[in-house]
Order: sequence, then C-alpha cells, then structure tokens
Amino acid sequence: MTFSLKRTLAIFQKDYKDVSKNMYVSFTVIVPLLMAFLYGMQGDMGVDMVYTVINMSLSLVGAYIQCSLIAEEKEKNTLRGLMLSPASTLEILAGKSLLTFVTTILVIVFSAMIIDYQPENIVIVGVAIALSTLFYIGLGTILGLVTKSVMEASVVIMPFFFLFTFGSYATLLAERFPVLKAAEYMPNTQLIELAKEVQTGAGFGDIWSYLAVICVWIAAVFILSYVTFKKRMMD
Amino acid sequence: MENIIEVQSLAKLFANQTALEDVSFQIKKGETFGFLGPSGSGKTTTIKILTAQMAQTDGEAYVFGRPAHLLKDPAQRGRIGVLTDNSGLYERLSIYDNLKLYCGLYNVPHSRIDEVLEMVNLKDERKKVVSKLSKGMTQRVTLARAFLHKPDLLFLDEPTSALDPVNSRHIYRGLDQLKENGTTIFLTTHDMNEAELLCDRVAFLNKGKIQLIGPPKQLRKQYADNTISVELDNGQIEVLEKGDKGAQRMYQLMSENKVVSVNSNEPTLGDIFVEITGRKLS
Ligand SMILES: Nc1ncnc2c1ncn2[C@@H]1O[C@H](COP(=O)(O)OP(=O)(O)O)[C@@H](O)[C@H]1O
Ligand SMILES: [Mg+2]
Repeated sequence: MTFSLKRTLAIFQKDYKDVSKNMYVSFTVIVPLLMAFLYGMQGDMGVDMVYTVINMSLSLVGAYIQCSLIAEEKEKNTLRGLMLSPASTLEILAGKSLLTFVTTILVIVFSAMIIDYQPENIVIVGVAIALSTLFYIGLGTILGLVTKSVMEASVVIMPFFFLFTFGSYATLLAERFPVLKAAEYMPNTQLIELAKEVQTGAGFGDIWSYLAVICVWIAAVFILSYVTFKKRMMD
Repeated sequence: MENIIEVQSLAKLFANQTALEDVSFQIKKGETFGFLGPSGSGKTTTIKILTAQMAQTDGEAYVFGRPAHLLKDPAQRGRIGVLTDNSGLYERLSIYDNLKLYCGLYNVPHSRIDEVLEMVNLKDERKKVVSKLSKGMTQRVTLARAFLHKPDLLFLDEPTSALDPVNSRHIYRGLDQLKENGTTIFLTTHDMNEAELLCDRVAFLNKGKIQLIGPPKQLRKQYADNTISVELDNGQIEVLEKGDKGAQRMYQLMSENKVVSVNSNEPTLGDIFVEITGRKLS
C-alpha cells in the first residue's frame, strides 16, 4: 500500500483553514486553558489536579474536536468526496487527525505552563501524553463516524468526556466497590499513575507497563476506527 | 468500440422494496448516456453501484472492463468523476480553496482551477466563500470539482436540477468541451430537453426497470404517430391523419386560405415517456 504525504497534508491544510474560521472549535480550545488558569490561581497543585486539566484537554480537544470535525464532514456530505477520491483510508484518517493532534499538544503545553507543571522526566511524560493523544483522537474518530451531525456528536461525546476527565477518581472508591478496580486500566488513570511515579523519580524501566496499556488502547481504537470508516464507504 | 460501462441484469433490493430490476445496458467510450426517470425510479442507486458506493443484490456491473466494486481501490478512483446530490463543499472555505484541496487529492496542478471555473462561468467568483453562494452556484462548483482531474468517465446525477436556463446553458457548453476531449458521461435527469440536447443515447427508467433505450432522434421517429397538426386562421388546431382523407381536408382548407401553419406530430421524449409508463417525468 502506498501512502501519499501530499494528500494527507492537503487535508490538513484544508482543516487548518476551515477550523480557523470555526468559532465553535476556537471556543472549545479555550475551555481547558481557562480551567488551567482557574486551577492555577489556587497555587500548589497535586498531580491529580494537574491531570484533571490535562485529561480534560485530551478528551475535550483530542476526542471532542476530532469527533465534531469528522461529524461535520459527514453532516455536510464532504466525507463522501474524500472517500471517492484517490486518497486511501489511511491518508484520509491521518489527514483528518493531524490538526487535532497538533492542537491537543499545544493546548496541553500551554495548560502545563499556566499551572506551572514541571514533570521530573519530561521525555517520559511527553511520550505518554503524545500516546494518550492518539488514543483520544481514535476515540473521537469512531464517535464522529457513527454520529450523523455535529449536534448529535456533541451529545454522544458527553459520557466519554466525564468518564475520561473525572473517571480516574473512581479508583478512590475501588476498595468499597471492587468493580471500579477496572477503572485502573483506563488510559486516563494509567497516565496519572505514570505521572505520579515519574514525580518520585521513576525511569522508563519502571513505567513501561503503563505505556503498554495505553498502546493496547490505541491499537483497539485505531482498528475500530479503520473498520468503521471502511463500513461508512458503502451505503 | 470499447464498452466503458457494461451492466447485465442488475438488481437492487432494499429491505422493503425493489429499487432496480433486471437492468441491462452498455455505454461506449466517448458516449453521453442519459438515464431518464422520475424521482425514485432508481437513478441514484445505479450510480452508487457503478461507483462502488453500494453493492448490488444481483447481476453484473463492469466499469472499464472490471467489476465496478473494484473502484473501491483508491488507485482506480482517479479515472472517474462523480457529482451526486450528496457531493458537499466546505462552506467556510472559498471556491478556490475547496478546489485546491481536490488538486492535492488528485495530484492536479493549481492552474487547472481557473480552467474549470471558466467552464462553469465562476472564474470571477473564485474568492467567494461557499456559504454565501446561491444553490445554482454551489451546484456549478461541485460540477467543476467533478471534472477537475479530467476523468475518463463522469457520473452526473441531475447536474442542472438547481440551475436556471442561462446557467444550464453554460454547463452544457462545458460538457460539450468534455465530450470533445473524449470523456464518457453518464447523466441522470428528469429534464427531457436536457437529455435531447446532451445525450447520444437515453434509457427510460421507471420503477427500477428500463422501459426503452436508444438515441433520442430514433425514439422520436419510432413513436411518431400518423398525423399532422394544422393551425387555422381562427386560432384552432386541426389534427389530420396522413392519407386520402387528410389530403382532401387539407386541399379544402388550403383552397379556402385558412391554413396558417402545418406541423409534424413527432413526440417529445416526455410524450414518449408518458405513453410508455403512463406517468409524467417530474
Ligand atoms: N439506502 C436506501 N435504503 C432504502 N431504500 C432506498 C435507499 N436508497 C434508495 N432507496 C429507494 O430506492 C428507490 C430508488 O431510489 P433512487 O435511486 O434514489 O431514485 P432516483 O435517484 O431515481 O430518484 C426509491 O424508492 C428509494 O426510496
Ligand atoms: Mg436521485
């Protein structure tokens, strides 16, 4: 299979121009930054608090914006044009994810600067956040593909937003409700646990299992979004 | 000559109805073929099957000599251009930026944008944002996009349904240009004049079945009846049968100097459609 960077970049460029005129997206990007600002004013924050902001950026920008970009392509019948063009599934999905990826990383970097988060090991945390972003983009892609309009997408994303922004707190109740132990394996919880260990001086050798779990999640959503996309190509 | 499209006993069943039944036809290279039928007769369904957006229930469909579903292969898609009622544009972007994306997807130089905009008479509007365009202009942009990459085969699903006569004529001129370059065109419409003007051959589709197929001229001759119409000086129209009786009546009218004009009664494609199906086209 061939992969044309030119086609992927053509879609990215289009999205960049389109989104810069989209008030709705601009507003969504501001929310996590605002949260970072409000949290930051309270002074010293624990890792849990910092990652509430980061996980919110991931689910709001990574998943939600991705979801609404894809849903809009469906709603306005523009996705069909991409599907009928010589662009392959991989080129289209990569092109449609690139802008969200860059935006998510930028929002997280700015949020971290606002709340003055200084990870002990920036490389590990950077890799973990980049991988997490891929997971959320995959999730947003699937949700965008199964909904019919931006409106519907905004509703469908809600439970996922709460689950991935605040769901990690469920682990606090795990002693009383063993079912909630499953929440430990959620990608958002994995990211927090990893960040906590990093703050105590852990290196790659200590935290690889967290990255592995996140990678399993990525594989799962990528396969699912590829399959869902293929299905959408046929009426 | 080479068949670009070949369809044999094609059928499509949806959950609760038959959309296509035993549809067969061939389209030769360079031909403009018209699929005529009222709304719901199965025109769009046929295009979707031929462009690999839908699978048939039964029968064969070949495009470029290969099963139509192989057009799912991205490498093959550059050879076709498609305009359907679900061809959307990016509303926040200008006409130019919309087409620029497609230049990137089809690997076409940007200089081609002005060429196609010229063909649909939108060259001066290239900077306009799509959300500000009229329905007719939007339709012309999607048309320009469909042949941006000079496809060998163009599918046009009711390309002029939102256009006024002046703009339709612009499009016809553009399509003539494509025909001259050898593009094969599969066109659906319920506009009979359009079909006569553009199509080398037409097929009448009704309730998923092809009722009649042939060149418009030949069909009109075939269905011409045995009468002529005579317009009289009092405004009345008298229909005369060809033959002795009609000739005598004609002699009488002519000698009384009552005849203003005489017309043949060749039916229009619309007339023929009504005669065959008992249904109006639109
Ligand atoms: N996805 C679908 N599911 C169920 N029925 C459909 C679907 N698409 C089209 N039909 C039905 O098939 C028939 C033919 O539709 P269509 O091909 O769109 O007709 P046309 O394009 O000639 O107006 C119609 O009766 C329509 O309701
Ligand atoms: Mg139709």
